[in-house]
Amino acid sequence: MKLSPEDKVLIQGINEPLAAIHAVRMKAYGTNVVAGVSPGEGGQALDGIPIFDLVEQAVSEVGAIDTTIIFVPPYLALDAALEAIAANIHQIIIITQGVPPLDMVSLLRKAEATNTLVVGPNSLGIIVPEKVLLGTYPVEFYTHGSVGIISRSGTLTSEVALELMKAELGQSICVSIGSDSIIGSSLWEWLKILNEDKSTKAIALVSQINDGIEETAAQYIKEKIEKPVVAYIAGRLGPARKRQLHASDLIVSLPILGTDPESTENIIATFRQAKIPIADRPSQVPELVKKALKIKP
Amino acid sequence: MDLLEYQAKELFRHICIPVLPSQKIDHPREIKSLEIPYPVVLKSQVPTGGRARAGGIKFVENTIDAIAAAQTIFRLPIMGEYPEVLLAEARYNVQQELYLAVALDYSLRRPVLLGSPKGGIDLDLVMKHLQQVIVEQEFSSFYARRLAMKMGLQGNLIQSVSAIIEKMFDLFLEKDLDLVEINPLGVSPSGELMALDGKITVNDAALARHPDLLVLAEKVNLHSNGNKGKSNGFWGLDGNIGVICNGSGLAMATLDLLYQTGGKPFGCINLGENRLPEDRSCSFSTFLQKSLEIACHQNGIKVLLINIMDGLDSCQEIADVIVSFTQNDAGGYPHFVVRLVGSNLEAAKERLAAVGITLLEQLDEAVARAVSLAKPMGKRPSSN
Repeated sequence: MKLSPEDKVLIQGINEPLAAIHAVRMKAYGTNVVAGVSPGEGGQALDGIPIFDLVEQAVSEVGAIDTTIIFVPPYLALDAALEAIAANIHQIIIITQGVPPLDMVSLLRKAEATNTLVVGPNSLGIIVPEKVLLGTYPVEFYTHGSVGIISRSGTLTSEVALELMKAELGQSICVSIGSDSIIGSSLWEWLKILNEDKSTKAIALVSQINDGIEETAAQYIKEKIEKPVVAYIAGRLGPARKRQLHASDLIVSLPILGTDPESTENIIATFRQAKIPIADRPSQVPELVKKALKIKP
Repeated sequence: MDLLEYQAKELFRHICIPVLPSQKIDHPREIKSLEIPYPVVLKSQVPTGGRARAGGIKFVENTIDAIAAAQTIFRLPIMGEYPEVLLAEARYNVQQELYLAVALDYSLRRPVLLGSPKGGIDLDLVMKHLQQVIVEQEFSSFYARRLAMKMGLQGNLIQSVSAIIEKMFDLFLEKDLDLVEINPLGVSPSGELMALDGKITVNDAALARHPDLLVLAEKVNLHSNGNKGKSNGFWGLDGNIGVICNGSGLAMATLDLLYQTGGKPFGCINLGENRLPEDRSCSFSTFLQKSLEIACHQNGIKVLLINIMDGLDSCQEIADVIVSFTQNDAGGYPHFVVRLVGSNLEAAKERLAAVGITLLEQLDEAVARAVSLAKPMGKRPSSN
């Protein structure tokens, strides 16, 4: 992982309204945004950030790039990511929401073959509070400290960060791994990264009842993660929605719309068995983190 | 979203997966002009499984029986859905029924091929013999043959069934599908194959780049009234607290908190995350305003909890939208409980206070207040 303020960052789709706003914010936060890409707008600049038509042009002009942040529309995201991989960029963050799943399947095959880290899609990106902003986080809710946050959600990440800040617990690295149905880097990969990260002392897992990954995550945490992990899972009490049952549903994991009370119970139970404290509400996360780190309240 | 059987079969026909001669029936009287010779199968076209067991599939030998059967099927809801169309199809004499599917496995993040030598309506039996092949890399025919072998097929069937699987996979890729399923794939005594039922699930995120599927999808939406609101499952619940939130995770968390505190949500409107701020094409304030209108015109909502965590718009701008809404609306709106965090919070507080709305910073507090106002003894909205 390269997450230092010196690392070079590219913004693909810098002409997109959302990108234009956040490129400037990232730069102001201290991120080394060296270039933007927007086909047809090469030669222009945004807040001093030079814009290129192609990723490879940006690379030959500003040198090797460590991370690219993709804001292009959903049907262009696969192409943008492949262009980045072709230009030897090994960290890709996709902010775009609604990338077609089969595009993600192709991208992830390529990413695995080239050892590329993909965060997202439908992600807020990564923030190392008070150092580097690689994404669209509202920065005022984040402070520097030693709690790592891994989240499948966007705004909920900020809710938890805000609660931690109020309890004087800052964050080391926060990653929003994405809310789309197929995402790049998984919960497991990030648990491993934060487990090895020296600045992280505890990990807060923020999730929503989703596609059953939580269940296996609990087992993984129990076996592989040495640092204390605290979880908050939203959607536990939401209304159960009926699903149509078809033969393939029973073997293939398709995204589940809504919550099934039974699986919710199962997930909670597996976390309890793995002795991972679960917060009932976002405001309870700091208390559980302090308890896990043996900090007196 | 699931396509209807006749739509799936039209797609099959295009790519030369064998299907029976069939005819779409919009009304029982059309049975008289049936061009398919009897005996015929009449099938309810609803986007749900379990039609055979529910009585939505009937075999008929003559016109009189067919009209009666058609009338019955048109009046028969299956999982709450009435058919707009029936499919009349020739009967087919099968020796064996197979199950085949190509699906996207969201956990594995790969397509999978599924097959069972025991196809048909007995899903337990299908499942018991179900085989799976994960398509790890670029698809090639051997994946299909691997499945055929796992299914225990022999002789000519290995190649002929593999060829069908390949076509299903091509369709799956070309149309960005979540699922292509044939159950059953009939095998005739002479070894010919026939797709007797078909199911196709299109992927909503990819739908917009397939104009042909968009047309089909519109028909499904028109057909099934029962589908309305399914896309937004957090609406029309039995409670009396409405929620406006930004972000699905925050929405779920807010609903959980309401339940935990003894409140009952009516539903939640999600304004979404990573969206554009003011004065851009899809303005946040317009969206918020529309959401306020929707929520306030719901009879069941006694309290409206607005919970917005936002880094782009200042709290003051959000407060302004709420204030101007309460001033323009002729009254009769529910209790407002507003929870905002971010910049210009004090200004936002003042503006809301001027119209009698309290701004709370703490989510737990806002939830507690919403719940207490929603209780039967809670005060009615005052006249301002």
